[in-house]
Amino acid sequence: MDMPPRFLPMKKWSLLMPEKHDLPEEEIAQDSPSEGEIRVGVYTCHCGGNISDVVNCPAVADVLSKVDNVIVSRTDMSMCSDAGQSLIEKDIKEKGVNRVVIGACAPSLHEQTFRGTIARAGLNPYYYYHVGIREQDSWVHHDDTQSASDKAYRLMTAGIAKARLLKPLETIRLDAEQHALVIGGGVAGLRSAYDIARRGIRVTLVEKSPFLGGRMSQLEHLFPTGETARDTLHDLIKKVINHPNITIFTGAEVSSVKGYVGDFKVQITQQSRGVSDDIAEAAMAACTTEVPDEYNYGLTKRKVIYQKYPGCYPPSPAVDWENYNDEALKINGQSIVLENNPKTFDLKIGAIVVATGFNPYEPRPGEYGYGELPEVVTLPQFIRMLALNGDAKKLDWNGKPVRDIALIHCVGSRQVDGVHEPQPDGEVNNYCSRVCCTATLQVENEIKERFPDINLYDVYEDIRTYGRGHEEYYTDASKNMVIFFRFHEEEVPQVIAAPKGDTHPALVRFTDHLTYGTELEIAVDLVVLAVGMMPRDIDYLIQMLKVSRGTDRFLLEVHPKLRPVETAVTGIVLAGTAQGPMNIQESVSAAGAAAAKVAGLLGKGHVELDPFVAQVDMEKCDGTGACVEVCSYEDAIALQTFTVDGSQVQRAVVSPANCVGCGCCVSACPNRAIDVQGWELEQYEAMVDVFAMDLPGLVEVS
Amino acid sequence: MMTGTENKQPKIMILATLSGGYAGADSVGQLHEDYPSNTYILPVMCPCMFPEEFYLRAFERGIDGIIIMYSGTDSPYKGGAERTAELVNSTYKMMKERGIDTRRLRLTAICTVCTKPFLKEVNQMDELLDEIGFVKEEIAVPA
Amino acid sequence: MDKLKYDALVVGGGIAGMQASLDLADQGYTVALVEKEPSIGGKMIALSKVFPTLDCCSCITTPKMSAVAHHENIRLFTYCEVQAVVENQDGYAVRVLKKPRYVNENTCTGCRLCEYACPIDLPSAFDMNMGAIRTVRVPFSTAVPQIAVLDMDNCILCGKCEAVCPVEDCIDFNQVPEEFEIDTQSIVLATGYETTPIDAKAEYGAGELHNVIDGLMMERLLAPTGPYGRIIRPGDGKEPESIAYVQCAGSRDETLGVEYCSRVCCMYAIKQAMLISGSLPLADVTIYYMDMRAFGKGYEQFYQNAKAMGVEFVKGKVARITEDEDQNPVVRVELIEDGARVVERTYDLIVLSVGMLPGDNPEPIYRVPIAGDGFVSVLSPNSSPTETNRPGIFVTGTAGGPMDIVDSIVTAGDAAIETAAYIEAHKNGHAAQVPADEEMEFTHA
Repeated sequence: MDMPPRFLPMKKWSLLMPEKHDLPEEEIAQDSPSEGEIRVGVYTCHCGGNISDVVNCPAVADVLSKVDNVIVSRTDMSMCSDAGQSLIEKDIKEKGVNRVVIGACAPSLHEQTFRGTIARAGLNPYYYYHVGIREQDSWVHHDDTQSASDKAYRLMTAGIAKARLLKPLETIRLDAEQHALVIGGGVAGLRSAYDIARRGIRVTLVEKSPFLGGRMSQLEHLFPTGETARDTLHDLIKKVINHPNITIFTGAEVSSVKGYVGDFKVQITQQSRGVSDDIAEAAMAACTTEVPDEYNYGLTKRKVIYQKYPGCYPPSPAVDWENYNDEALKINGQSIVLENNPKTFDLKIGAIVVATGFNPYEPRPGEYGYGELPEVVTLPQFIRMLALNGDAKKLDWNGKPVRDIALIHCVGSRQVDGVHEPQPDGEVNNYCSRVCCTATLQVENEIKERFPDINLYDVYEDIRTYGRGHEEYYTDASKNMVIFFRFHEEEVPQVIAAPKGDTHPALVRFTDHLTYGTELEIAVDLVVLAVGMMPRDIDYLIQMLKVSRGTDRFLLEVHPKLRPVETAVTGIVLAGTAQGPMNIQESVSAAGAAAAKVAGLLGKGHVELDPFVAQVDMEKCDGTGACVEVCSYEDAIALQTFTVDGSQVQRAVVSPANCVGCGCCVSACPNRAIDVQGWELEQYEAMVDVFAMDLPGLVEVS
Repeated sequence: MMTGTENKQPKIMILATLSGGYAGADSVGQLHEDYPSNTYILPVMCPCMFPEEFYLRAFERGIDGIIIMYSGTDSPYKGGAERTAELVNSTYKMMKERGIDTRRLRLTAICTVCTKPFLKEVNQMDELLDEIGFVKEEIAVPA
Repeated sequence: MDKLKYDALVVGGGIAGMQASLDLADQGYTVALVEKEPSIGGKMIALSKVFPTLDCCSCITTPKMSAVAHHENIRLFTYCEVQAVVENQDGYAVRVLKKPRYVNENTCTGCRLCEYACPIDLPSAFDMNMGAIRTVRVPFSTAVPQIAVLDMDNCILCGKCEAVCPVEDCIDFNQVPEEFEIDTQSIVLATGYETTPIDAKAEYGAGELHNVIDGLMMERLLAPTGPYGRIIRPGDGKEPESIAYVQCAGSRDETLGVEYCSRVCCMYAIKQAMLISGSLPLADVTIYYMDMRAFGKGYEQFYQNAKAMGVEFVKGKVARITEDEDQNPVVRVELIEDGARVVERTYDLIVLSVGMLPGDNPEPIYRVPIAGDGFVSVLSPNSSPTETNRPGIFVTGTAGGPMDIVDSIVTAGDAAIETAAYIEAHKNGHAAQVPADEEMEFTHA
């Protein structure tokens, strides 16, 4: 995905300040370094102890006050607090500070906060440099307060060196397309689309499979209310399909993404549904190719021309192109072979919601006997099994009555390095999948209600019924005589086939710590594995969107506390289990929060971006064109003809609209005539010099 | 008054991309891992910006080791990674001419959660510099 | 009486209220944020560090407080309480009481000279009664607004504050409560939670044991701006060498009528244990639990890290806490995993991991019912987790049930979009569906 092209500044930065801080006209005008004196204010944050526990902030501030051009040097417990920000504002207004250097936590957290502070005080917000002395100093050099303090001093002195060379810049304001793209048609995607649409913003919803509803459609009853999953889902689907602002593409995927927030250029590729309504039923009936039905997690089969489930949306049957092998179908006396004609659509999008959902953990063959013993199923499979059982008064499995069931928690979750086998990428799933405890207990209560004679054995590590209305499932299961056993994470329960002729087909062995470490063996007819959640395989999307994954492989938010639904790419937000395990209530909340962010971004009609684009020094440029040759972006830079002192010369001209600020041109220019605004070579060299030099008066830490 | 401990140690400068190495360094910090303190990280948008002279000048000034932690194939800038590699290669040639051990300049791809590779790179460079010493002692007459 | 008109009224200036306000204001809606304390920030501003990132709470909260204070679309009403809400044609008419600070809000500079001059020390509620606070004071160092407030109930009217105040007529002993009305389209309830009182459980000493504290008190001891600057036990000021945590002290407990799980206590106990290991490296920390509920993103890894750091986790619900002659607290517990022995163990300090209780009951004023657990009733948690049964009134954060900071911020975003959608749908007038008996008359101030 390309970085945003830059346009010429449309408005003076001062107009971006909140209205209630009207400043008299003369204060808005800026010093440029060549005119006025450079007066640096430098601020060292304690960060509530996170920095000051290791770095001697007062001592550092003291030495910094002696650096050239520094007129004020302060420390504060929390520079980002209102009180801390006021210190900076006051110094700008009252002491004439015109360059600000702040040493604090990582810039990704509060750089924007401080830009706002500085702008409010009447100073160009780009006369500021942020030095990270927490993640890259105090948090990584714990045992050596002397070196950590020296390093903070050196880093901030380098920051001051850069600050001396900073120039005033204007934020770039771009029009934002009032159109959001939601990727994924499960509960989170549907809810997000609906919320955004209700705000008056156009939404395009793209769903990869031919049907909406995602994994929620595979559930029967939801906790904590017991409501029917598909009823709730269909209410939501109805709202979505009836909303005039929403356009839905099923059988569609994102095939390319270019651009940036406010102006993403997205291409969608949609597969044909394959059968028109007039022949759909006949085609479904005539079709003989069958595959395992993923809706029932392989417990049943379906044809390759199919409906997801009765009452699904869209209701018309679709062709599963991956598995349709050009079978000739006899319909109305004709022999028809169906054809896929994928279509592409180009969209202009302002913001993107990623709601691609999850896959239940698929145990490896042999893991707890899965895939080897027919009596071992996953919880999602079991839920389907119960549904397929309908209203029957008995529960059978493989033609035999089920009398005893063991349910094992934490399959594919809370895994331990060295104890559990890693996933293909070499990592174990060390996270908790959050929903499985409550889901398992809910199913146990249901079984006890419907089939009171079945014995249930719940084998767990910790019971995590944390949510509102969830604890009741645990107490009810206890009252319903579910028997609980507790194992330790390193002592993985074993599931093996019982010897031939035994009363039951399977045996579950574990060490139970509720009975003080007794080794137990239970004979059962069925073993249900409470499997965890894994993210879907969306590598191609991740590449296209340039979003990141966390170590748990789910999509990563910028900051789990401050910004829980935003990614590092402005304009791309997350909704639902694509980000991590969560239940439906939590997915719906997250979808709403994502929609709120989209509405905040696009609602104003424009977005604001940092102005870090290339700029040519016309005096130094002599038209060699090396920059043009090396630039990979169309129309970002070109040689133009000018008349200088009567003769025609060539000079490079940047089109900020198309420049992304990579700086390839900077290294190519033989005259050092081009720089990236805000990231100039000279500024870097000044910082390198500070790193290299012997600094006088290094901090003495007792 | 030189009371600090820094002067006695070789200096490692890390040019880290905002979308890759710099975020990776922050992740290492969030995990509270420890690594040598003679490391100074500079945020960069894309290292393709730095000409060969930039690195040579840094060595001449006394930066003993430079690690470029770029985003590699994850780079959001078209052509940035390739151009960086070209520049680094031609810098190596110039380093050889100046008599600077080329191992002092290292190009490596570090992602936002590449905490182990980050630590490995830093510790490796630190060990190398302990072995081969300060760059100023190595440089022949500057060109 | 002042009349003010806003798109949304947010009740409560804690993290959920602030986030909902910001998410609405960023979309262009005007928001009135009403907070009953003299500063916004809620409970979060008093905490030490957050799990699982261990960011300092200030670092998370104060930028939000600052953003709220400076946002052009948000108006803060601190030290104000909602008295009555009447539904009408345009939405809701809300009567608000402004409590007197006895300080002129518009001229106070927050210099604190009054605070330094005041001769009366009071137990600081902010510091959980462990530190002292003056009768007239700025509520805490990062308060927003940074304006002083005077506690008239404890004021002896000596006049020392007035004498040193550099601003003329800033201290005003004659202020009276004022009422004003806010007209709004919609209301967001973000009224937060309370914690189980430390004397709730007779078996745990009924609050009389000298060295038994609760989770919030430990937060203050651990906080960088805490009352003592270090961890000491309240009984005699000794630095504890052995600390025990009692989980589920107030939750999952039928005898207290609180059967639900308070969701955050396992994580905050683990977090505090890790921070204690940092502050008191030689101290032993033991956590007695029923189930360890580390369910969120990064939480399980946090739990494993704590174990690796040496925090001891013992399964067993503490049955009783007493104290010996030296005021050292003693736990009586059945060790489930160690031969089912019942033991009594003595510690220097015990921390009760108290649970979350509902905050203000919204029923009388907002006519929004509470559910069996005492928290605001949410009609359809799986369809609209922030919608109440009253049109245009939404709930976010812990007012809707125990939850941690991440979930509070997420529900705040959801409440914001629900509120926004509601406002959009009712832009041309609020459908009046007010039955006669629900109308209320109120008099002018």
